[in-house]
Amino acid sequence: MGLTGKLALGVLAFIFLLSFAAPLIVPYDPNAIDLDSLRQAPSARHLLGTDNKGRDILARLLYGGKISIGISLLAALVSMIVGLLLGLVSGYTGGKVDTALMSLVDLILSFPAFLLAIGISIVLPAGICSVMIALSAIGWASFARLIRGHVLSLKESAFIEAARSLGCSSSRIMIVHLLPQCIPLSLVMAGLKAGGYIITEAGLSFLGLGAQPPTATWGSMISTSRVFITSASWMVFSPGIMITVTAMCFNLLGDALKEKYDIGMNKTL
Amino acid sequence: MKRLLLVIPLLFGITAITFSLTKALPGDPVYSIVGERSSPEIIEKIRKEIGADKSVVRQYAGYIALLVQGELGRSYFTGRKVADDISVKFPNTMRLAFASMIIAAPLGIFFGFLSAKRRGKLTDRVITLLSVSGISFPVFWSGLLLMLFFSLKLRFLPPSGTGGMQYLLLPAITLSLPALATLVRITRVTVIDIMDMPCIRTARAKGIPETGVSMIHILKNALIPLITVIGLELGSYLNGAVLTETIFGWDGIGRYAMEGIIKRDYPVIMGCLLVGTLVFVFINLVVDVIYHYADPRVRVHGTDR
Repeated sequence: MGLTGKLALGVLAFIFLLSFAAPLIVPYDPNAIDLDSLRQAPSARHLLGTDNKGRDILARLLYGGKISIGISLLAALVSMIVGLLLGLVSGYTGGKVDTALMSLVDLILSFPAFLLAIGISIVLPAGICSVMIALSAIGWASFARLIRGHVLSLKESAFIEAARSLGCSSSRIMIVHLLPQCIPLSLVMAGLKAGGYIITEAGLSFLGLGAQPPTATWGSMISTSRVFITSASWMVFSPGIMITVTAMCFNLLGDALKEKYDIGMNKTL
Repeated sequence: MKRLLLVIPLLFGITAITFSLTKALPGDPVYSIVGERSSPEIIEKIRKEIGADKSVVRQYAGYIALLVQGELGRSYFTGRKVADDISVKFPNTMRLAFASMIIAAPLGIFFGFLSAKRRGKLTDRVITLLSVSGISFPVFWSGLLLMLFFSLKLRFLPPSGTGGMQYLLLPAITLSLPALATLVRITRVTVIDIMDMPCIRTARAKGIPETGVSMIHILKNALIPLITVIGLELGSYLNGAVLTETIFGWDGIGRYAMEGIIKRDYPVIMGCLLVGTLVFVFINLVVDVIYHYADPRVRVHGTDR
């Protein structure tokens, strides 16, 4: 992995650490309203200032980061596992199973993703879980298609034929021989997906469809503070920068992994 | 045209999903018509009237029949027909979508090309880094930054509203950024792939000047993946850039959907979802037809690339 990849990984690890160790770092409760210190500019007491209800922005940023990153990573993981398994079965089994699964994939991919995510999160009760479900319900499809293509080409290779002629059962071939071959590809895709999910999650919570107030997420922080953009720009800037930096690190990491494993999947991503 | 026939099951699938989403919405439509306190007899009567007592399959058939007539229901709040509202707002969305594609497509292809040509050099690295940051900026954040800078600080352009060029510019730039970045990335990898192909070496060996090689041979081969990306992005803009339109107060389908989301105005949301998806499918179909003419290889091998 090149320097950029390592750097991205380092920054991501740092952001993770800060977010998950938030209670140890900031002394403030992210949801505690303090009417004596409304919209204060960054100072020694409140490093990133306070918002329109006097809540400490650094605290909200870190606690919110845990949610935003958690949702994105979990959704990337769920879509990866589901897509990996279904793509494997679809590619190896072929026939009717393949046709059925791939029609479903085509159907999901023929929806504009953000709109469908909105549709799914509207139907489910508003909250963190529904955003995660919406992201994974759509995200697995592109994984499945990618893995299926990979399995189709692997299927013809000599080691699979050898395994088959030694009498391996289909499930053994899929799990022992094909699955490990698909893991690097899936991880690269998951890295790139997580970057996209950070942005989609932020978009959904910007629309008020994610975690409900008073819980902070980066998207909802921008949404509630955007009216103060001229008078208290620090309220908008810190979550915006966090979203961009995190998404960028995931994307750079994905790119670096792609180069490392020399995966020619540029056009499918 | 096998591809055209494939659209029919796709349409059924899409309507089945939007139908089940509609069915899964919280709240009973009967109660929203007559209120919670009505007597059981009245509720039963309304239930019969709107067909809520029939089987799910019959209800789906009724849903399709209404859709074919262009009926998307009425807004819970304004009482206006959703289809009418959408037909008023769609032209605005279309203007915004095409404006941002006019910005994104030439710039994206140009910089992607430049990046591939200077592969590994400083220019390439800078462009690559910028394109990664382009796909990492959520539009509501870059939109706010542009608005802060150009409208509130410099007072060049109005911060929001629907109208002429001065209103169109900021949302169009905002919306074009992710597409621009994606196009740069795709153009770069495609062109790098093509530059290694034997036909390019042949062209060079024949003594065709470098600009000729770039313009004719490389660009022509790169066309197909680029058309795909442009088509996909345009398709997703045409179903309403929910976030961008909201921030800039652009009166298109996206903002309409957003208002629906805030008020939990389900017919509006579902109408936007359905129309948006149909537009998306239609654009994809057009892209496929363009392939057919742009690349003779597709004609030989069928639609399966």
